[in-house]
Amino acid sequence: MHRRLPLPVVCLAAIGAAFVALPVVALIVRAPWGDLGDALRGAGAGNAFRLSLMVSVAATALSVAFGVPLAWVLARGSFPGRSVLRAVVVLPLVLPPVVGGLGLLFALGRSGVAGRWLHEALGIQLTFTTWGAIVAATFVSMPLVVIATEAGLRSIDPRYELAAATLGARPSRTMWRVVMPMLAPQVAAGAVLAWARALGEFGATITFAGNLAGHTQTLPLAVYQARQTDPGGAIFLSLILVAISIIVLVSMRHRLTGGR
Amino acid sequence: MRRPIIVLCGLMLMGSACSSDDSGGSAGQGSAGAETQLTVFAAASLTGVFRDAIGPDFETRHDGVTITFNFGASDSLAGQIRSEGTADVFASASGTWMDAVQDDPGVTERTDFATNRLVIITPPDNPANVVSLDDLARPGVQLVLAAEGVPVGDYAREVLQSAGILNDAEANVVSNEEDNASVVAKITAGEADAAIVYTSDVSAAAGNDVTAVEIADDVNVLATYPIAVVAGAPDASLAGAFVSYVLSDAGQASLEAYGFGTAG
Repeated sequence: MHRRLPLPVVCLAAIGAAFVALPVVALIVRAPWGDLGDALRGAGAGNAFRLSLMVSVAATALSVAFGVPLAWVLARGSFPGRSVLRAVVVLPLVLPPVVGGLGLLFALGRSGVAGRWLHEALGIQLTFTTWGAIVAATFVSMPLVVIATEAGLRSIDPRYELAAATLGARPSRTMWRVVMPMLAPQVAAGAVLAWARALGEFGATITFAGNLAGHTQTLPLAVYQARQTDPGGAIFLSLILVAISIIVLVSMRHRLTGGR
Repeated sequence: MRRPIIVLCGLMLMGSACSSDDSGGSAGQGSAGAETQLTVFAAASLTGVFRDAIGPDFETRHDGVTITFNFGASDSLAGQIRSEGTADVFASASGTWMDAVQDDPGVTERTDFATNRLVIITPPDNPANVVSLDDLARPGVQLVLAAEGVPVGDYAREVLQSAGILNDAEANVVSNEEDNASVVAKITAGEADAAIVYTSDVSAAAGNDVTAVEIADDVNVLATYPIAVVAGAPDASLAGAFVSYVLSDAGQASLEAYGFGTAG
């Protein structure tokens, strides 16, 4: 069935769409397509692309591994300070990324509160390493998984779990066989958003992990470095990010919009 | 099912609105009023001396004038001036980026106003025991430099090249930072073993908690800072007055107090 859309709504929507699409179109128009090969090589595109993919996927995996249990505890647990915990867990979403990076530096850096022990006792250093970039990306993207999963858990009818318990299922079996299948779309949506956030992460990465091609220079950092000295390279790197994002978001569109 | 996603997107929007990833800063645009606005784009290394000494002194001598500073890496600032053109005065840490602005949109009254030299800094406890320039080539030393294209990054690589250790030192670089302030920040946080920055960054006035290791004069670089009035500045005579103040005895004395050398 086709309903007519009100004209003012269509106009505002058109302006909104143009506003969002224009920068991407401008990038495509301004890109020096003739110098594609050289510009990409000069700007370190291969390394940046590989690192971005690796860091964002690893960060998403970690976000899900720790975020889902966290959401479970927040949704189903009952202990004092639960709302404080929830606020703390969501904090990285609203904190300026550079502030997050500074915090990570003072917590997990070589001289950091916990990092000092890691460095002296275990010889582990996170700063200036790819793992540092993964940690920074996980920090900013985990809240997205937690929020999506917790919302999903709250919307699941508790009677399913009650029924399973009545039929003799242990809590862990109930969790894996009854709840998780119902929760999967929510977790997946949260994971996609977390992945997108991790892919675009800049402030926390450059502050905590630093900027070194081949180790920590993800696509956003490479764009930032190239923009003065190699604007053509910066544009192409940006378009790679846009292309990756569009491919994934389009392929996940059904999950994200829950339907048509 | 759909609601959580909308809440999520809303929160992400809030988060990205709160984030500030661009360190270029924002130049204030003065609105019409009794006050006159002067917008000065200056290299990050000039932050202390311009913001705390020369700026206030100039404002005291010129009633009703408010200076808005935009500090950042000179390459970043030059790019902003060329594309947005909102600066009245540009003070660069190298001739290269002043040349770029001179090309487009053009400058007047270009003069060298200060010099700076380079120095090695380490955290106060000097964890890697760096006591000379050659130590930077020792395997395992974690070295932080500014990125290529940033004046202090290029100068540092010149020094390493003069000393014949550029390749070995480059192998030790763990991060290419966007300006000298970020480099210093990595050292004061105790995260890297050594870095190369300006002597002005280790002056008492800068107040940075670091240990300085000198670089011999014969391999050191003399960074020359030019200042100029940017073409198209709304109040060219006021901008010229600022340039003159920086070059005056009072201005030069402030620069010396902050660890800079004189231009003459």
